[in-house]
Amino acid sequence: MYSKAFSQMIGGTAAGNPGVIARPITWNANLVEQHAVLLNTVFATIQLLIGLGIAFRPTVRVALAGSIAWAASVWWFGEGLGGVLSGAASPFNGAPGAVIIYALLAVLLWPADRVARAPFTAARAVGARVARALWLVLWLSLAYFAMTPANRAPQALNGLITAMETGEPGWLIALDNGAASLVRGQGLAASVLLAVALVVIAAGVYLRPPADKITLVLAVVVAAVIWVFGEALGGILTGVGTDPNSGPLLALLALAYWPLRTTVPAEGEAA
Amino acid sequence: MTPAWSLDVFAALMLVVAAVSAARLVLARPWRRGSVVADTDIAHPLMAIAMAGTLAPGLTTLPAVAWEIIFAMMTAWFAERVAGDARANRGRALAGGHCVPHLAHSAAMLYTFLALVPFVAGVSPGMAGMGGFAPAMPVLRYPTLAFIFALILIGYSVWDLDHLSGTPRGYTLAPAGAPGVREVLLSPSTTVGCRVVMGVSMALMLLVMI
Repeated sequence: MYSKAFSQMIGGTAAGNPGVIARPITWNANLVEQHAVLLNTVFATIQLLIGLGIAFRPTVRVALAGSIAWAASVWWFGEGLGGVLSGAASPFNGAPGAVIIYALLAVLLWPADRVARAPFTAARAVGARVARALWLVLWLSLAYFAMTPANRAPQALNGLITAMETGEPGWLIALDNGAASLVRGQGLAASVLLAVALVVIAAGVYLRPPADKITLVLAVVVAAVIWVFGEALGGILTGVGTDPNSGPLLALLALAYWPLRTTVPAEGEAA
Repeated sequence: MTPAWSLDVFAALMLVVAAVSAARLVLARPWRRGSVVADTDIAHPLMAIAMAGTLAPGLTTLPAVAWEIIFAMMTAWFAERVAGDARANRGRALAGGHCVPHLAHSAAMLYTFLALVPFVAGVSPGMAGMGGFAPAMPVLRYPTLAFIFALILIGYSVWDLDHLSGTPRGYTLAPAGAPGVREVLLSPSTTVGCRVVMGVSMALMLLVMI
């Protein structure tokens, strides 16, 4: 975070984005390069305070609101909208931007019981229909990104996995090597398989028990596969990772949709 | 690399925790018959002093091997306490017991001292301290373990903060009325507050040293 590589990483996310999106990213990257210590310390402090604030009940709403604002700004100025507009987005590299999933979680887990007898935790604040629609949009967008030309190229997935190996511990490199050799030259087949799984997951929250739970388990499994093989645990074990990436957030999101025990569909909220 | 001053800030925080924990220990008057001194009251200042020394080499008090022995004993002690709690309360000891977070803290500190590598590979001693960056910041062997410990420490800190902030099963604050310094220091919430600060600082320390 305190090295030049951080500002270069931010600047790199501008590539391929429209000018109106890219210019503020470049401006931010230059600013971070010139004031790396100060700004990184400010960034780390903000994120630490947001985390502690969410855990401390009297400040949870303020912290969640701050998390949404922070996530939106990092998504643009730090992640280049997750590569959504540049064509670089892939479910295996954190699409649609890990940080925007924090914002989504903050909205879904806002501490408000607006819906009586919500069928799952994520429905408490926004209602089951909206929560299911958000789930559908997220996972269908992942399925779409899995099938983009850049991601279905024969060596795309293989290259993405092997690129993450630098600096990783031996056991993770061994795992990633195994996965990379499995998908060598099989980019299209792997993309189709992944896209099918993602579409099934997207539709899962509209299914009846026990199919809904099965698809949620599938979502956690896919999130784990993405995190371990595609994201190499966010690069945290290399000492230069800046965040855990999207894998754990997708799994957490799936847990927020797990059916609650005392489920009685509220009026107008039936599946 | 992390700036040295930011690690100094956390080291200073640890000294505050050590001072508060030591004050608790003194106020509990362990030399008097019938006084109750919790093992956690002894563990906190030791951990805080050890962490301060790890974060800021100028605050090093004991050689690493001495800390390894201390934290090995502490880990064994809290492991035995947790096992006893688990026998009495079955699985609930792991979720809500006071000893489990201390076991995690002790084990994390033991790991830290056992896995320490003196300086970052590729950074020559001549570069140490240049540009305000941490001089010869140690790194840890087996970084996966550091990551797992950091996750556990953060998890227990979140658990503590949540309980501290007013659930029905939350920790009791100082007695009603206008509590004095003594009451505030001796309240369970002060212990938990110190534990949260140490847990978060320890997790950050581990992640920085990966």
